[in-house]
Amino acid sequence: MLDVVRQAVEAAGAAGADYADARVVREETESLTVRNQEMEGIDRASSEGIGIRVLVAGYWGFAATARMDEGEIARTAALAVAIARAASRLPREPVSLTPVEPATGRWDSPMQEDPFTVPLEEKVALLMEATRRMQLVKGLAFAEGSIDLFRRRSWFASSEGAAIEQTTVQSGAGIEATAIGDGEMQRRSFPNSFRGHIAAAGWEHVRALGLGEEAERTATEAVELLTATECPSERTTLVLDSGQVALQIHESIGHPVELDRVLGMEEAYAGSSLLSPEDRGRLRYASDLVSITADATLAGGLGTFGWDDEGVPAQRVPIIVDGIFHGFLSSRETAGAIDQTSSGAMRADGWQNRPLIRMTNVSIEPREGTLADIVGDTKDGIFMATNQSWSIDDRRVNFQFGCEIAWRIKDGRLTEMYRNPNYTGITTEFWRSCDAVGGRESWTLWGTPNCGKGQPGQVARVGHGAAPARFRDVQVGVR
Amino acid sequence: MPGAFGPDEVRRVAEPALELGGVDGVEVLLMHEWGGLTRFASSAIHQSTWREDTAVRVRVVSGGRIGVSATNEFSPEGARRAAESAREMVQVVAPDPLFPGLAPPRPVPERDGFDEATASTTPQARAEGVAALVAQCAPGFEAAGAFETLATEIAVANTEGQFCWAPSTQASLTTVVTGGEGGSGFAEVFAGRIAEVDPEAVGRRAAEKARASQNPRDLDAGRYPVVLEPSAVATPVGFLAWIGFGGKTVLEGRSCFSGKEGRQVAAPSISIYDNATSPLTLGIPFDFEGVPRSRVDLIERGVFRGPVHDLRSAKQAGTQSTGHALPPPNPEGPFPLNLFLSPGDATLEEMIASTDRGLLVTRFHYSNVVHPVESTITGMTRDGTFLIERGEVRYPVKNLRFTQSILEALTNTTMIGRDTELASEFFFSASRVPALKVEAFNFTGRSDH
Repeated sequence: MLDVVRQAVEAAGAAGADYADARVVREETESLTVRNQEMEGIDRASSEGIGIRVLVAGYWGFAATARMDEGEIARTAALAVAIARAASRLPREPVSLTPVEPATGRWDSPMQEDPFTVPLEEKVALLMEATRRMQLVKGLAFAEGSIDLFRRRSWFASSEGAAIEQTTVQSGAGIEATAIGDGEMQRRSFPNSFRGHIAAAGWEHVRALGLGEEAERTATEAVELLTATECPSERTTLVLDSGQVALQIHESIGHPVELDRVLGMEEAYAGSSLLSPEDRGRLRYASDLVSITADATLAGGLGTFGWDDEGVPAQRVPIIVDGIFHGFLSSRETAGAIDQTSSGAMRADGWQNRPLIRMTNVSIEPREGTLADIVGDTKDGIFMATNQSWSIDDRRVNFQFGCEIAWRIKDGRLTEMYRNPNYTGITTEFWRSCDAVGGRESWTLWGTPNCGKGQPGQVARVGHGAAPARFRDVQVGVR
Repeated sequence: MPGAFGPDEVRRVAEPALELGGVDGVEVLLMHEWGGLTRFASSAIHQSTWREDTAVRVRVVSGGRIGVSATNEFSPEGARRAAESAREMVQVVAPDPLFPGLAPPRPVPERDGFDEATASTTPQARAEGVAALVAQCAPGFEAAGAFETLATEIAVANTEGQFCWAPSTQASLTTVVTGGEGGSGFAEVFAGRIAEVDPEAVGRRAAEKARASQNPRDLDAGRYPVVLEPSAVATPVGFLAWIGFGGKTVLEGRSCFSGKEGRQVAAPSISIYDNATSPLTLGIPFDFEGVPRSRVDLIERGVFRGPVHDLRSAKQAGTQSTGHALPPPNPEGPFPLNLFLSPGDATLEEMIASTDRGLLVTRFHYSNVVHPVESTITGMTRDGTFLIERGEVRYPVKNLRFTQSILEALTNTTMIGRDTELASEFFFSASRVPALKVEAFNFTGRSDH
């Protein structure tokens, strides 16, 4: 396939491109959903094609096709050039790319057991058993289990001489219990909501999740939530589990630090950012306990790779250091605006889309202690676990999150259970109020496989390492 | 530029899958999409793209057991391989006791949804459109947005003998204009034909809104009467599609309409229906399992009449499919893609004039569900929120967060616009909706811009 992408780059050059890169991407997915001992869905899908990106006189063009014969590739390359020429209808500062050493090589995400070779019978049996155990709990309406597998192979070449081949395999699974009654519907999930815990790993990751072992507790909590007290409305101390901290990072740090948003390139759709380039090294984003790092080299992350989709090597980049905003996620195009080189964050959804700045593994650095230590150190407050919903404004300032479950913390102990918990805040005020972050032993590298951005819409698979954390004076129970 | 494959070629591709042996039935869903999107920001084109993709999705049934496999290899060989992969799955899964069978052969309504001029729009033509839009911005203001022209052909063939094929096109132009002393303005148009897109008009509308929303002031959260423009109304209507109107959701007790059939759920002036065959929306005349789509009255004069169905939820409910299946395997069940909220007789000006103190909302942003059974959602205002006092728009205000039950809002609706627009929502397909005046809307927070 490297021959094919090189051929596309040559065709783009012949059509008039000053710079060109091409990616062939082959993706395979397998997805299973069991519900109440019935197969709700089982499907496999594959997709393959080529995307060609060009610069002509400083203007971008991109075209993609699923047909990869020689004539179609030449036609698509010429179309990309025509699109770039059309873009010059509205004059702008010509795009210039910050330098990168043209990379050649191959990278494969590590795994022990190829999940696509595991027999379907074993996968179905695992979900049947986990859901059977959930259904033993009286009062449960739905016991659901899911497995999602993903493999992406890509071949990249550029007119600068890059030639890269990469393979990523990701596996995940989860269970979800739903209880319904008297105008209420309550859910509990394990290990996380929205189809569980997905990692760049093989079947060994799914085996190690322990879905069956946690089935009864998950179902019991869902049923208990039906009759639990509504989460009170108050300002209080809030402790979040690591899964919710991961999504809090995603929405209120990960997206605002994308440099394309800061420069207005996403203004019309997902919005812009609370940040400006001048905030680097100056803005107190969070308390001094909070350090955030974007690390595309972390083993097991959905945002882990060898090179990004413009051939920039994977990097570990400080985003927030001891509470002070430090740096952006950037691309070869945008990094020049802040006199930097690319942070290696350009990734595309499949072959059909041009790369955009996407989160890699944007994680909070662990401090110390466990969730139990943080709760034990809290006199009065509320502990919330497992994300249920999210919403944030177009500059990532005002947010509101809902969680599946909460408990009152009294004198260092979890007491009364609350249903329908949510909390709201202002991004920097919230992060500045953080006064506890768990240690390495409570830190988990979560996967977020459904991050939407761009037009046409793209979905990225990103990672977030997170530990439980505590925040002071937070508004909870919004109604 | 490519064109549609056409029904004969689509049949040829599907044929090897339909001839798969050793199973009870096979369904092949074929999709072909091509088009370009010219994306602009800071009043310049920055991310223009074009793509062509195909999909062959095969559902195989044997003894009530179902497997689905898909490929984007649009060829008889690709279809055959997908069918064999799906057949492998049915050998290991449990039967679905509610499997209703594949769609029987039925004629599908004709719908002239394809416009060659839209399908063959060039990047140069889209760039000219963007230039015309950008020209409407006053000095110190900039436009961002996307101008897309898209063509699709969709076909369903199954071993029961059903075959349906439909080509369609759509053109959309959305923009946000920003600049000056803060504030922004939004406008959009969705149409089946590019000739219906007037970039100057879209640019003018967004630019006027951006000028009007300069120097927004703080406003305390609280309950206010609101006048929601159509782009804002698309949000609650779109969320009802997701959390309310699906037959499976209703049957399982997960919907805000569960157990409410025949009951008053909104003001008597509110009627919501789904109708893919109307020329006023962008729809195809059959669903993704080949059942002809029919108009479904969901809320009629404030009374919930019933949900939409696919074949499976219809069997469970003891009724007929309304033609609202999504592509298989689809654990979520049926979904309405072409919603309408019926117009009333008020103008936007009359709604504003009737408001003593309230808010005019252009649109909402990034909303999400708080409590599905209570139909409560939260989200932010965006791109033009204004305080109304004594019947007049007084000044722009900074964006506010709402946390509000949709059905409560529809119950408190007192005026409905006489004009409708095809309006988008961040997550869902576009709905045709008018403006609404709601007497009490719950704002629970505010932002800094």
